[in-house]
Amino acid sequence: MNLEILWQDFLGILPIVPQTVALAVIIFLLSILIGTIMALIQEYNVPILKQMVILFKLFLRGTPLIVFIFIMYYSLPSVVNFFTGLLNMNYNAHNIPPAIILIVAVSLTVSSFQAETIRGSFLSVSYGQMEAARSLGYTPFQAFTRIITPQALVEALPEFGSAFLVVMKAISLGFMITVVDIFAQSRLIASSNSYYIEAFVVAALMYWGIAVLVVTLTNKFESRLLSKS
Amino acid sequence: MIEAPSTIDIASLLLQVAHITLYILIISAVLGLLLGTSLTMITVKNIPVFKQLTTVLSSFTRSVPIIIQLFIVYYAMPPLLSNFGINMSNLSAITASIIALTLYHGGYLTEVLRAAYKAVDKGQHEAADSFGYTPIQKFFRIILPQVVPVALPGWGNALIHLIHDTSLVFALGVADIMGRAELIAAASYGMNQIQVFIIVAAIYIIFTFLSDGLVRLLERKTKKYKLDSGLNTGGA
Repeated sequence: MNLEILWQDFLGILPIVPQTVALAVIIFLLSILIGTIMALIQEYNVPILKQMVILFKLFLRGTPLIVFIFIMYYSLPSVVNFFTGLLNMNYNAHNIPPAIILIVAVSLTVSSFQAETIRGSFLSVSYGQMEAARSLGYTPFQAFTRIITPQALVEALPEFGSAFLVVMKAISLGFMITVVDIFAQSRLIASSNSYYIEAFVVAALMYWGIAVLVVTLTNKFESRLLSKS
Repeated sequence: MIEAPSTIDIASLLLQVAHITLYILIISAVLGLLLGTSLTMITVKNIPVFKQLTTVLSSFTRSVPIIIQLFIVYYAMPPLLSNFGINMSNLSAITASIIALTLYHGGYLTEVLRAAYKAVDKGQHEAADSFGYTPIQKFFRIILPQVVPVALPGWGNALIHLIHDTSLVFALGVADIMGRAELIAAASYGMNQIQVFIIVAAIYIIFTFLSDGLVRLLERKTKKYKLDSGLNTGGA
């Protein structure tokens, strides 16, 4: 183990960290959005869509992420082309950047977990809260955003923290479809100076550091929310 | 003109190497369970130094992407261990995958098992002690039968994670299902990539369903040991 190489690798990987975290944040927010839609579909028993969601969840439970990423990588351009063709748009979907495909694949995968978290956290808020808010003259929308959501958020927060870490880890598979993140960058650096061990150790420590940071932040935020509610 | 192989051809080509995936999967599941159990013992018994090491290991294995863990074990472990006089220079990719997945699965299971152990009421320990059970008798006859039904759902999830993660060992050059799938997809000039990977997905879905079935079977068998909880009234 060479300390100087470790430091060089650290400096080499550092610039890619914000980009990786930004990618993770985008995927995380998208997964919450899709997860909420899935939870609503299941909660309100929308026919056909509900069966589709259940089937999709079963598929994702059995399929490893890397296989799903490959399926998306090879099929998404054709699917997009089919739809743009229907609309007579002149767009060649084979130029879709791989990062977009990674975003779609990972957010879909994580959203099926998020749906469970969101469903559980809204179920944990008792209906009396809604009734109390309505009797105080809140509109249903106000009651939902100001009374129900903050309480559900406290329940969901620890799960959201771990979901974010799942996303961070999932992005590391992007190197298979040429998306450059922390891990891919460490591989590039390793193959350029052939100090493989140092590069991987630095990458691992970075992921570890980010995980510890995220866990600490969610714990802090959670105790603040708890003290408020 | 190269003819694209049919679905059945691809499936049979992939199933020819399924035993490698299953071999890695089963060995690391068994070793991981053993490791997870011993690490849980260490945490529960509060053995100093070892307990801190367990915390570090389980935090590391859960925070770092499994693909990096695989690469670290495969590339970094042999040179590091050679400093201590242990020669592992001919570590095969399969052995490296098994080591990495065992550590990962063990670290993950520690959390599951610890929570399940904590779920057993303290009164059960005291009752067994007052009946004059030896610690070993107490563990095997009173505590373990109650830990198992609580731990089973978490163990099932851990197994699913393990199955998903065995799909990554081809990155180390193991010729498993995914490795073969990449070869097939490359051999036909990309004519049937989607088809190949959908078949791979189907094979993995069968694996996960089998593992889910096994867990459900065990859950049914151990239901009678489950005591009342806030959610249900227990078995027998």
